[in-house]
Amino acid sequence: MHTIRFSAILMILLGLLSSCDKVINLKLNNSGPQTVIEGTVSNEAGGAKVSISQSQNFYDETSFTGISGAQVTVDVDGTVYNFDPTAAGVYQNSTLIGVPGHTYHLTVKLNDKTYTSTSTMPQVVKLDSIYVVDDEFGTNKDKTKLRVATVKYQDPANEQNYYRFIEYIDGRKEKSLFVDDDEFTNGQTVNSRLNFSNDNDDPAREIRTGKQLMIEMECIDAAVYKYFFSLNSNSTGSGNSAAPSNPTSNITGGALGYFSAYPITRKTITVPAN
Amino acid sequence: MFGNLRAFAQSPLDKTITIKLNNVPLRQALDKITAATGVRFTYNESVAASNIKLTINAKEQSLKQVLDAALANYPYSYSQLDQDILIRYDATKLKKPVAEPAAKPAAEKFTISGTVTSKQSGETIIGASIRLVDGAQGTSTNGYGFYSITLPAGDHQLLISAIGQKSLIVPVSLTSDQRLNITMEDNAQELQTVTITATQKGARDLKSPQMGVEKLNIKEINDVPVLLGEHDVMKTIQLFPGIKSAGEGSGGFYVRGGATDQNLLMLDEATVYNAYHLLGFFSTFNSDAIKNVSIYKGDMPAQYGGRLSSVIDVKMNDGNNQKFGVSGGVGMIAARLNIEGPIQKGKSSFLISARRTYADAFLKLSKDTVVKNSKLYFYDINAKANLVLGDKDRIYISGYLGKDVLSANNVNGINWGNTTATLRWNHIFNNRFFSNTSFIYSNYDYEIKVKQDVNTYGITSRIKDWNFKEDMQYDIGSDHSLSFGVNSVYHTIKPGEISATGNSGFISQKLETRYAWDNAAYVSDTWKATDRFTLTYGLRVSAFSIIGPGTYYDVDADGGITGSKHYNSGQIVKTYLNLEPRVAAAFQLNDISSIKASYARNAQNLHLVSNSTAGSPTDKWIASTNLIKPELADQFSVGYYRDLAEHKYEFTFETYYKKLQNQLDYRNDANIFTNQPIETQLLYGKGRAYGAEFLLRKKTGRLTGWISYTLSKSERLIDGINNNQWYNARQDRTHDLAIVGIYKLNEKWTLSANFVLYTGDAVTYPSGKYLVDGATYYYYTNRNASRLPTYNRLDLGATKQLKKTKKYSSEINFSLYNAYGNRNAYRIYFRDNKTDPNKTEAVRTTLFTYVPSVTYNFKF
Repeated sequence: MHTIRFSAILMILLGLLSSCDKVINLKLNNSGPQTVIEGTVSNEAGGAKVSISQSQNFYDETSFTGISGAQVTVDVDGTVYNFDPTAAGVYQNSTLIGVPGHTYHLTVKLNDKTYTSTSTMPQVVKLDSIYVVDDEFGTNKDKTKLRVATVKYQDPANEQNYYRFIEYIDGRKEKSLFVDDDEFTNGQTVNSRLNFSNDNDDPAREIRTGKQLMIEMECIDAAVYKYFFSLNSNSTGSGNSAAPSNPTSNITGGALGYFSAYPITRKTITVPAN
Repeated sequence: MFGNLRAFAQSPLDKTITIKLNNVPLRQALDKITAATGVRFTYNESVAASNIKLTINAKEQSLKQVLDAALANYPYSYSQLDQDILIRYDATKLKKPVAEPAAKPAAEKFTISGTVTSKQSGETIIGASIRLVDGAQGTSTNGYGFYSITLPAGDHQLLISAIGQKSLIVPVSLTSDQRLNITMEDNAQELQTVTITATQKGARDLKSPQMGVEKLNIKEINDVPVLLGEHDVMKTIQLFPGIKSAGEGSGGFYVRGGATDQNLLMLDEATVYNAYHLLGFFSTFNSDAIKNVSIYKGDMPAQYGGRLSSVIDVKMNDGNNQKFGVSGGVGMIAARLNIEGPIQKGKSSFLISARRTYADAFLKLSKDTVVKNSKLYFYDINAKANLVLGDKDRIYISGYLGKDVLSANNVNGINWGNTTATLRWNHIFNNRFFSNTSFIYSNYDYEIKVKQDVNTYGITSRIKDWNFKEDMQYDIGSDHSLSFGVNSVYHTIKPGEISATGNSGFISQKLETRYAWDNAAYVSDTWKATDRFTLTYGLRVSAFSIIGPGTYYDVDADGGITGSKHYNSGQIVKTYLNLEPRVAAAFQLNDISSIKASYARNAQNLHLVSNSTAGSPTDKWIASTNLIKPELADQFSVGYYRDLAEHKYEFTFETYYKKLQNQLDYRNDANIFTNQPIETQLLYGKGRAYGAEFLLRKKTGRLTGWISYTLSKSERLIDGINNNQWYNARQDRTHDLAIVGIYKLNEKWTLSANFVLYTGDAVTYPSGKYLVDGATYYYYTNRNASRLPTYNRLDLGATKQLKKTKKYSSEINFSLYNAYGNRNAYRIYFRDNKTDPNKTEAVRTTLFTYVPSVTYNFKF
């Protein structure tokens, strides 16, 4: 995004040298399971959802290990919404539709522990349009030009804004995180690229002519932005951070994860020929 | 020296010989003994050219007896080198002066002073030892080749010795203060240097209280094998105890558990902020242009200050003032050229030394257009001129310019570089009083250019210093020598300017420039209390003033801004005054051993904050502010020093404890790309480091080298990190071993090897994983509680002398870095398995396995 990708240049340099990667067998400590809470309230029906799971050991088969039996509520302006389990570890409320400017309070009670969080839904900033550009030097595995989705929106000048984008290619959600703030773009028309590295050379992650590209834009609050920003810089295991650490969560009580109330807008295009 | 050699069984000295020689020149005599016994002799040119003549009449005598008798009256001694015999000039065999007649009670004292220079090049010689032949009293030359020694009136014989130079004896008759400039002859070998000068007693200066110091002559390091054949001072010093590499791909190094920014690098007195080219693969110091390097590991003399862990004082060559010369080399990735000569013979000289890599030429051959359009090179130029103005004054002008350029596909790139310029004036007030005045300019900047689609971004950053320094040395008498001076630096730090064009909406930014005025004064006295006990005690006072214009902030515990205050131009925001005492004592136990102890406090007001594993040219230098306090270090150390086997080996043991205050680190969720005040992203705390260092070094003979081992610990305690518990600093390295060997096989070949093995860096590995919105992230518990795998590597080198005449010489050097191809971890990262996304795996990145290189060097 706006963080200028100097590291890409470093990696090219290292690539020119004789660097090589090898999967190794490394002995790692196991911390024991930690509680992970992901809570969302959006301005659309079905957007009120709380997932509660446990962390796993590094060498376990990765899966969503949902925790049942939690009492989950969200209250706003004195109204309490109960969330009901819809699958193991997934709690939903079908009537709660968020409204920008309102503050939502999450309470999760689980095994004598209480976790709470607060998120204020920001005002809607509309996703104006999306388009695709060619990357300057990146290529797909078959040596065709790497193409990158770009979002265009008008940032409001009178407030601090934070955004999260979610990219879907032919309906498949890209796992990379895209967050942005307006520290350097306040009040401007912003064209921002959603750069990511297709590190497993998966063709399904490539943007190609004829594919359906959908981008969702969430306007998030400052604490949620801080969470995703620190998650992306220090918890991805990339080896570039000198100090890997857990992200700054907006949930109190000692759980990993976040609670975010956001309005959502989206755009879809069919990727044109380049 | 005689009778000290242990006769091993099979010793060539035990061979019996029957020979008769009458007045045969030394060299021919040795040849004849070789012919008769098969025992070979090794000697340098001064021995070969000796005009002494030997008379031998031996019947069935051992070679030992023959040599003892034949050399008894000459200043030459011999020693065994495996199956060969080394013959060398031995000044200690010259007769000592007859004791002073008792007729001179309470003898008057006079001072001899002057400059020691090389006869061949006119270069001043740093650290040359000047002592009485009986070894009772002595001194050494300072950084400008100047010495001053006070002795009783009468006749003395001074023994002058220095690394790479032939020792000589100078008789003096003292009846008044005297100027004595001394010229020394280079030892025979020039390009292919194996120093076989006799080691003088107390080579490491057992008497000097200075601890934690390594002094390296450039000639000593040229045989150590290095990556891609580029001789590198900075890489070689990392083979000494207590100085540790920050790893491959990073030019930084750690001294006694300190961070990389806690080392002060000086080139001819000018601060060098980024000492590396090509992301750390090469140092900015071109060894062709360097004369001498001194490394102080925290026990800095009072004249140095400003960094907590070490001072690396690099002195450039002055340039040959005797004759014009060109030397250079062509290696795998870089070429070097060095031109020097007299401006006015014997009085003034110049030197220009330049280097450029040409790895980018190979990029052009690539089929890949991205690679083809990439740039990847550095160049640097050292230039210096000096002028002798009469007997008492000398002026030096020196400069350095280095630039790195790195870009991909012609659109994205970074270039960075240092510039320094120094004007110095040496003045000798009188025999005892030496002064050096320096005016120094130093600049480091970088520029990044990024182009994405229709958008371009440019980032520039700079740190610039104007520096005035006055250093004086005053020899009070035979017992005291005083050094004192002042230093004043004006820093201008531009943290960043970002310009943007295009449709990204990015608004061009200019972060506030910071100004600071850094003043210091010091005084230090070295007192030779008795023949055995020497004490150096001094004080440095530093005052760091932060100066407006600028806005300074108050920040709460969570990094939120709670207030701010604007200061006008010239207004003082805050002054940090620090008293930095430095005390060191040496007690010489006997002729071959001594113990030393020292304490030093250092303050640091410029800080480098980095959140990347490998240092990057874009790491931020920041000055102390109202909130960022000066870093402080108190180091206590104790050491034991001993010469072994008739001074052939020296053993050093040092142990230290260092207490650190006001250490800083980024918050876990820090955003380094922000225009918020930097204090909102930082946390503060303290540190401690302690360790024991062992060094066994062999300086003479066919085989030279050293074994260095360090056992150490370095920890930090910073509020807000690791649950406010002590944690390992990244540079905490329990064990660190280095073995360096250089073997002179014969006149043509020199072989070398070095081996390093150390505990992997302290790093943070995940202790679990979890899903957020369907993607894997990792869970961390304790900071730096894990370790990268143990690092180990063997490098081999071989140098062949190709041609050697008086006018021209050349050599070829082969080296193999990581000779057994060990896959050392540059980093370890974690990811989903590429084919089975439900599995996570650990991946090791290795940078270098088997890097061979060939370098051709010439000189004429």
